[in-house]
Amino acid sequence: MNTRLLMTMHVKVGTLLNIGPVPCGVRRTAPLGGGTFEGPRLRGAILPASSADWQLLRPDGVLEMDLRCTLRTDDGALIYMSSFGLRHGPPEVIAAIGRGETVDPSTYYFRTMPRFETAHPAYAFLNRLVAVASGDRRPEGPIYTIHEVL
Amino acid sequence: MDAINSRPLMVLRLATAATQEIGSTPQGALTVFPVTGGSFEGERLRGQVLAGGGDWVRARGDGVLSLDLRVTLETDDGGLIHMTFSGVRDDANGYFRTVPRFETATPKYAFLNRLLAVGIGEIRPDGPVHIIEEVL
Repeated sequence: MNTRLLMTMHVKVGTLLNIGPVPCGVRRTAPLGGGTFEGPRLRGAILPASSADWQLLRPDGVLEMDLRCTLRTDDGALIYMSSFGLRHGPPEVIAAIGRGETVDPSTYYFRTMPRFETAHPAYAFLNRLVAVASGDRRPEGPIYTIHEVL
Repeated sequence: MDAINSRPLMVLRLATAATQEIGSTPQGALTVFPVTGGSFEGERLRGQVLAGGGDWVRARGDGVLSLDLRVTLETDDGGLIHMTFSGVRDDANGYFRTVPRFETATPKYAFLNRLLAVGIGEIRPDGPVHIIEEVL
């Protein structure tokens, strides 16, 4: 699979809303408190309003992530981003993340599939691509390295 | 930052019946491709595509086709796997990529529940072929 860097995204996570046990697992919502993204072709900020990650911890220990956020580029374009992702790893590593420790991202699986929608002509290429991201969960929020699938 | 690595998961071949043209709806022009069968093969799994699935293909305003597929795979040892993908097919740019997901209750194939994948699609004379890689 050939890819190229689309952007690196630093996300700030707000206070988790623990919905609790639901029929398919344990659900929580992580409101995004903003953040930034930067890559060769675009850069800007994550708008905190209406941006969150809806998470479901499945009975098999896999965390499903359903993130939706709005990006604003430095030249004013709005981009809707959504991504589905999975996070899982050895129990001790996941526990360390839960305690707010920084752990080596190569010790667990944290991958997402971002999709983009925009009406801005300069960024219309985003409407036409599929992307893959690798995540690194830091205490303040995840860092995503997002690659375009070529 | 390093590129994201992948490894082959399977090559999926789909057999499709005559398309059903739902036509122009408020959400775009919708065409259903019924899946009547097919096969999949990789190092870790192989088997048949069962009839009864399909791909709901929407023609977007920018000329790109948006895909929404659901099929059931049956492995050669009897495991059933629910597979879906969304994706884009942009013929003007020769870009046809999908993001498959899998669900199974068969323990041997439970690894499929825990991975993300990317497919490279091609339309061949005998039907669509998807070369699917696991995202490592």
